[in-house]
Amino acid sequence: MTESDTRLDGAERDRPPSRVGGFAPIRDYAAIGDGRTVALVARDGSIDWLTSPAVDSPTLFGAMLDADRCGSFELAPEGDFLVRRRYVPGTGVLETTFHVEGGAVRVTDAMTVPAGGLPPSRELVRKVEGLGGTVPIRWAVRPRFDYGSARTRVERRGDVPIARSRADALAVRCFDAGEPDVSPGTISGRFQVRDGETALLALPMAHQEPLVFSTRAEIEDRLSATIEAWRSWSAGRSTTGPWAQAVERSAITLKLLISATSGALVAAPTTSLPEVIGGERNWDYRYCWIRDSAFTLDALLQLGCAQEADAFFWWLMQASQRTHPRLQVLYGIDGGAEARERELELAGYRDSRPVRVGNGAVDQLQLDIYGDVLETAWEYVREGRPIDAEVGKRLAGAADHVARIWRQPDAGIWEVRSEPRHHTHSKMMCWVALDRAIRLAEAGAIRGRTVSEWRRERSAVEDFVLTECWSEAKGALVRSPGSEDLDAALLLGAHFGFDPDGDRLSRTVDAIRRELGHGPYVFRYSGEDGLEGQEGAFVACSFWLVEALARRGLVEEAAELMDELVGLSNDVGLYAEEIDPGTGEFLGNFPQGLSHLALIGAAFAFEEEKR
Amino acid sequence: MSVWGAAVGGLVGTFVLTTILRAASELRLTRIDLPFLLGTAVTADRGRAKAIGYLLHFVAGLLFAMAYAMGFAVLDRSGWLLGVAFGLIHGLFAGSALVNILLPIVHPRMGTPSSSFASSALLEPPGFMMLNYGRSTPMVSLAAHLVYGAIVGAFAAAAA
Repeated sequence: MTESDTRLDGAERDRPPSRVGGFAPIRDYAAIGDGRTVALVARDGSIDWLTSPAVDSPTLFGAMLDADRCGSFELAPEGDFLVRRRYVPGTGVLETTFHVEGGAVRVTDAMTVPAGGLPPSRELVRKVEGLGGTVPIRWAVRPRFDYGSARTRVERRGDVPIARSRADALAVRCFDAGEPDVSPGTISGRFQVRDGETALLALPMAHQEPLVFSTRAEIEDRLSATIEAWRSWSAGRSTTGPWAQAVERSAITLKLLISATSGALVAAPTTSLPEVIGGERNWDYRYCWIRDSAFTLDALLQLGCAQEADAFFWWLMQASQRTHPRLQVLYGIDGGAEARERELELAGYRDSRPVRVGNGAVDQLQLDIYGDVLETAWEYVREGRPIDAEVGKRLAGAADHVARIWRQPDAGIWEVRSEPRHHTHSKMMCWVALDRAIRLAEAGAIRGRTVSEWRRERSAVEDFVLTECWSEAKGALVRSPGSEDLDAALLLGAHFGFDPDGDRLSRTVDAIRRELGHGPYVFRYSGEDGLEGQEGAFVACSFWLVEALARRGLVEEAAELMDELVGLSNDVGLYAEEIDPGTGEFLGNFPQGLSHLALIGAAFAFEEEKR
Repeated sequence: MSVWGAAVGGLVGTFVLTTILRAASELRLTRIDLPFLLGTAVTADRGRAKAIGYLLHFVAGLLFAMAYAMGFAVLDRSGWLLGVAFGLIHGLFAGSALVNILLPIVHPRMGTPSSSFASSALLEPPGFMMLNYGRSTPMVSLAAHLVYGAIVGAFAAAAA
C-alpha cells in the first residue's frame, strides 16, 4: 500500500510524527501566513521555517535547511503523542490536535493580520487549548537570524524575553504558558493544560523598528479577526464542483503565496528543499515566475479574485517594464530584476546541498514566457479589463521581439542547465505569443502596425513545430527537433489551444501518458538536463494531463485521474513540487504554487467542457 | 547669527538627520525609527503614525534649532563647528534623557520599568542611548546629530 493510499485512513491522520536525522518529511508540513510571509509547521508542532519581514527575507526559523544551525519554535506535549491536523475551515489558520494518554490539547497556529490597537509589524500566534485530561507541554523558541549566520542575542526587556540581531528582533509573549527560561540562544518553558484551560504564546517581530508588546486580549482579538478575515475572503470565492474542497484549499494556498504589498505570487515560500534527497537540485523559489503568470491570472479570474487579478496583472506589467522588450524568467516580489544566486554554508535538508539563495535561472533565455505574458494580457482584456496605451505598446513590442528571436535555442520551461536547444514547448509558446498579440490587436487593445508580420511568423512557427518537432517513430511531438525524448509541458497545448491539425496533440498526450506516466504520476521529460540524479514526478504535469484529457472529451477518465491526484495531497490538502512515485514522499519546495494552480486549472477545465 | 538662518538650518538638518537614520536602518545597523516612535504617541494606526511622526519630528527639529539660536546669541558667535558642539550635547541628551527617560513617560504606548501589560499595547522602550534598538544605534544617532548641528550652525552663520 502506498503512502497515498493510506493518507485518508484515520490511523494515518492520527499517526505519530517522525523525523529522520532531525528533519521531518516535507509532507508533514502545513503553511500559515499573512500575505507578507509564510511559516511552515510540522506535524510534531515545530515551526521549522519562517522568514521575516517578507517571504524572500532571510530565515528566522530555518531548521528545514539545517537542524543545528538554523532556528525553530517547538511546541508539543511531553512524551509520546498522536497528531491530527486540519485547517480551520475556509482559513489559512492551522489546528493541530495532540492526543496523549488520558488527554488531548489543540494548538491553533496563525500569522495574524492587524486589527485594532497598535499591532506588531509581524506576529506569530500559538494558542493552546486543553480538550481533556492534564497535558504537560514544553516549548522552545530558538531564533537564528539571517539563515543562522547572524549573532543572535537573547535577553529580557523588563519581563519580556526578546531575541535580536542587528535590525531584526522578536519577543516572546506568553500567557499561562509557564515561566519563560532565558538561556543563550533559547527561550523556553513548560506548563500543564487542563481540560477547558487555554494558554497563549505570541511572537511579535520587528524589522527596523521597535518591538510592540501587545496584551493577551489584543492578541486574541487579532487571532479571531484573522480567522474572520480568512473566512470572509473564502466566502467570496467560486469553488463549486466535485473537487470544491481541494480547489478552496488551493485558492487559500495561493492567497498565502501572494504578496499583499505587490500582488506578485511566489512560486513557493521556501528555498532549497530538494528535488532529489541528498542531491544538488535545490533552488530558491521565492520569486515570481513569468511561466506561472497565465495560470495565475486564469485561476484568479476563475476563482472570482478580481482584486488579486488586477494587482497581479499590474505587478506583471510594472516588473516586465524594467527589462522591456526582453522578459526575464523571474522577478522579485517587489518587481526587482535582481536574483543573484549564491550558496549558503548550511547542511541542507537531509544533506541536500548546496543550499542556494537567489536563482541563476534569471539569466536564462526562455522563449515560452513571452507566450505566457501575452496570454495573460489576452485573458485580462477578454474579461473586459482595460489596458492603457503604454502597456499596449509594450505588449506589441514584446510580440515584435518574439517575431525576431523565436528561432533561437533556449533553456526551455524546465530551466535545464545543459546547453540551450530548440525546445518544442518554447516554440509552441512563441506561437501562443504571436496568436494572442494578433487577437489583442484585432480587439483594438494594442497597436497592430506589425500584425501582418506576426501572422507570417506565427505560420512559420507552426510549420517548424509540425515538421521539425514531430517524430514518426514516437508518433508524437518530441522534446526538441531530432530527439526522441518526450516533454510533459506539451500537455499544455490543450490549455493554450495549440492543436493545428487536431490529431498530433492527441497522439502526443497519449505518448506522454504512456512513457512519462507512472500511475497517476507524470515525470517532466525524458533525456538529460545537465544535472545529476533522477527527480520525482512533477505534480503540475499530472493535473495538466487531467486537463488535456478533459479537453479531449475523455471526461470520465480525466475525473478518475483527478480523484486519484486529489488524494495525493498531504493531510491538510497541500502539494509540493514533486512526489516520489515509489514512496509518496514529497520533494522540492513547499507548498508549490504551480501544483495548486494546475489543480485549479484542471478542476475548472471540467466546468468549461460542460458549457 | 540669524534666527531665520537657524530655522532653515533646523529644517534642512532634520531632513538630513532623518535620512541618515533611515539609511542606517536600511543598512541594518539599527532599529531606531523616530517618526514611528513619535507618531505612535498620537495614534495606533501604523500608516498615520509614520506620517504624523515625520511632522512631529520636523517640528522638534525646528524647536531644537531655536534652542541652538539662543545658544549662538548668548555666545555671540555661530558657525558649523559650534553647531557640531551643540549637536554633540543634543545627541547625548537625546539618547540618555530625552528618548530614554522622557519619551517613555509621556508616550502612552511605550513601556517603562514600572508598567504592566494590563491595558494597552506597549512599544519596546529604547533603553540607555537607545541601545535596545541595536548596538550601533548610539553611534548612528550621535553622528546624525553632529551633522544636524553642523548644518544649523552653518545656516545660522551664513544668514548673519
